[in-house]
Amino acid sequence: MDFVITIVEQGLIYGILALGVYITYKILDFPDLTTDGSFPLGAAVTAALITKGVNPYLTLLAAFAVGALAGVCTGLIHVKGKVRDLLSGIIMMTALWTINLRIAGTSNVPLFSKETIFKNSFLENLIPESIQPYTTLIVVVILTVITKLILDFYMNSRSGFLLRAVGDNDKLVTALAKDEGNMKILGLAIANGLIALSGSIFCQEERVFEISMGTGAVVIGLASVIIGTSLFRGFSFMKATTAVILGSILYKACTAIAMRNFEPQDMKFITAALFLIVLLISMERKKKVKIDA
Amino acid sequence: MLELKNIYKYYNPGTINELCLFKGFNLTVEQGEFLSVVGSNGSGKTSMLNIICGSIPVESGSILLDGKDITNMKEFRRNEKIGRVYQNPALGTCPSMTILENMSLADNKGKRYGLKRGVNKNRMEYYRELLRPLNLGLEDKMHVKVGSLSGGQRQAMALLMSTMTPIEFLILDEHTAALDPKTAEIIMELTDKIVKEKKLTTIMVTHNLRYAVEYGSRLLMMHQGESVIDCAGEEKKSLNIDDILKKFNEISIECGN
Amino acid sequence: MKTKTTAKVFGAAFLTMALAAGTVTVHAEEEQYTIGIEQFAEHGSLDNCREGFLEGLKEEGIEEGKNLTVDYKNAASDMGTCGQISDSFASDKVDLMVGIATPSAQSLYNAAMDTDIPVIYTAVTDPLAAELVDEDGNPVGEVTGTSDKLPVKQQLEMIREILPDAKTIGILYTTSEANSESSIKEYEALAGDYDFTIETAGITTTADIPLAAQSLLEKVDCLTNLTDNTVVASLPTILEMANEKNIPVFGSEIEQVKIGCLAAEGLDYIELGKQTGKMAAKVLKGEAKAFELPYETIEEAALYVNEAVAGNLGIEIPEDMTSSAAEVFEEITEYTAEE
Repeated sequence: MDFVITIVEQGLIYGILALGVYITYKILDFPDLTTDGSFPLGAAVTAALITKGVNPYLTLLAAFAVGALAGVCTGLIHVKGKVRDLLSGIIMMTALWTINLRIAGTSNVPLFSKETIFKNSFLENLIPESIQPYTTLIVVVILTVITKLILDFYMNSRSGFLLRAVGDNDKLVTALAKDEGNMKILGLAIANGLIALSGSIFCQEERVFEISMGTGAVVIGLASVIIGTSLFRGFSFMKATTAVILGSILYKACTAIAMRNFEPQDMKFITAALFLIVLLISMERKKKVKIDA
Repeated sequence: MLELKNIYKYYNPGTINELCLFKGFNLTVEQGEFLSVVGSNGSGKTSMLNIICGSIPVESGSILLDGKDITNMKEFRRNEKIGRVYQNPALGTCPSMTILENMSLADNKGKRYGLKRGVNKNRMEYYRELLRPLNLGLEDKMHVKVGSLSGGQRQAMALLMSTMTPIEFLILDEHTAALDPKTAEIIMELTDKIVKEKKLTTIMVTHNLRYAVEYGSRLLMMHQGESVIDCAGEEKKSLNIDDILKKFNEISIECGN
Repeated sequence: MKTKTTAKVFGAAFLTMALAAGTVTVHAEEEQYTIGIEQFAEHGSLDNCREGFLEGLKEEGIEEGKNLTVDYKNAASDMGTCGQISDSFASDKVDLMVGIATPSAQSLYNAAMDTDIPVIYTAVTDPLAAELVDEDGNPVGEVTGTSDKLPVKQQLEMIREILPDAKTIGILYTTSEANSESSIKEYEALAGDYDFTIETAGITTTADIPLAAQSLLEKVDCLTNLTDNTVVASLPTILEMANEKNIPVFGSEIEQVKIGCLAAEGLDYIELGKQTGKMAAKVLKGEAKAFELPYETIEEAALYVNEAVAGNLGIEIPEDMTSSAAEVFEEITEYTAEE
């Protein structure tokens, strides 16, 4: 049971990251490597602020804001500097390594003795003794659901429509007399804001900031998005955001099971294989759908 | 009124492949005119549209819309007053969004794309009214993704979407070329209807000489960046396909084709 | 509790059994223990820690395969994996969790906080900075272990003795490794006592090493190594560059001296692991609670010298040093990556 709870917790935390990756990869069609830097950026901001005694819940907003700023930078490099999408992300990711170190002050910041969004006197009073052990799960569920609902709301707004149009057909956005470049920047800002938010939650759950914690974040995000969107393609009643979060939980479950049955050295290969299988399956399905049509 | 004044346009300037397309090109399109443009490949038809819309820059010359110089205005800004339908039906719609969402997106052109709901349910009936005359059954597929529609259905939507909000200028870039003859016919009739109803100033580039002759109030044939036929009014009405075809062949022979 | 029977565990078990065959050990109590070991990265020193740890436990009568089940997991330098491993240990309710290297120790402690599972760590350079002990050096909870803090003072003393005229010591380190940062602080604090100044060069990845080493070598009289994972992994490159300039490089552990460092007042990670194993045994047997045991550092630094390197550099190593050294190497072993 605890094993399952752990998977769900981790899956939900990374689910927010996956939502961010979903925006860049699926909606904007922008392979954004900023992710590997913006995830620990959120954590660095959180660690620095919590160490200074800032309310842990406020750090979530701060992480989102700073992450969004990183996204804006990637967007500006790409749109105004006319640098290729992949390169823009790599440039920002590289720069963020230093920025993260500077923000956190050092490469490892423990938060064991600090109040976090999961462990604070307010929550201890609020949540009855009997369900205290599930505090982390409860908080993560609430945060992820709120994030998802806000994102859903945004995606259904006029601005959200325009954002969806950018990745789909940027010519149409221009035809609607809107600057597609600005929309891309906005999309990258929201995406990296979400990714940093995820980093902030992860850092508070693990109660430590580690500079290397972003390594591979983009892979986890992409895998979750691909698993989610291809496995739940058939369920039209399910929103893509829900599918992506479920994809993240599934991905975490797969890695957790793999971790129990394989050597740790093999994990990266298994991740890659899993990734490829899901991709191939989803392409096979697409083909079938086309034939049916 | 649209004016192109003394336009110079080079491709690959400064390289061995330098190609001069327009050398002091001039064109005036009057308010309410429906201009059909024909010409061989490379004659500058599409480049002219791109120059008007701001998709490509010019070396020199000026573009005036209702007397206002828009030469240096960004493409997306010009589109506030211009609607454009491309040859490729996919370019006028969003495939991953539903018909309703696409219609709403176009309906909001000129408004702020803020946090208000993207779809206004009260407008649903209005969208259906717009779609019904197409006789394509789209009004009953409001929640179907546009990506699953046929090219003709998408092009019809693209046409509706680009003319939904008040615009001054409609640009049609071979917008029937990718469709089968029957669908092309339907789209062409729809185009004519919309242009007449909304009294839009229109430029239509086409390879279909029959359309060029049948539709529109003025005809322009282009060759190597210059106009070789430009007729309007009665002169245009008396024009038939054979006349144009003859001229067309003359040009082609000149070029050695 | 399911035991993972991987080749490695088999191998280790076989080894320990083979060693045990010589000594006759009879255990009165038949208590069965299950422990989870989480190692942050695949790394020679850390592997030695683990090996030593199991040996230490065995000396206390807790032996893998007999009354001990070991669930060993390697996080492959990934924080997310760390968290997952820690949580799975906690949900498996092992008797004791062992964290090798700082991030693993922190992650296990975090996972154990809401349980009563004790955590033993090793190879944590600065338990205070890692918030595993309070300002007074007492454990912050059911967590204790050993630190692999370098014997900086002894190292400086040794360098002074071997190189009486040296002024500047260079240190190459990875900016992302917290352990290296705290070691450098220690070096900088103590260097003045021995009339040294410290020059450092920080790198981000292995690829930065050639340039960073080159510019550092131009400014210093000798180099000294920390236990920095990235730098240690590229030690052969650094040694080659230093040799060209005839600049001696001092190591921080036995392996480094073997492959071409001049000398080291170093750590023996096997010993460190053993020491940790004994602490773990106390906790497992219920002789002490983890929070009652203050964290320990290695009791004694050992001196390692490489005569062949000294010969190449034309440096005379004082007689009393070679005689007091724990080990003197006469040749330079070709570097081979561990495992």
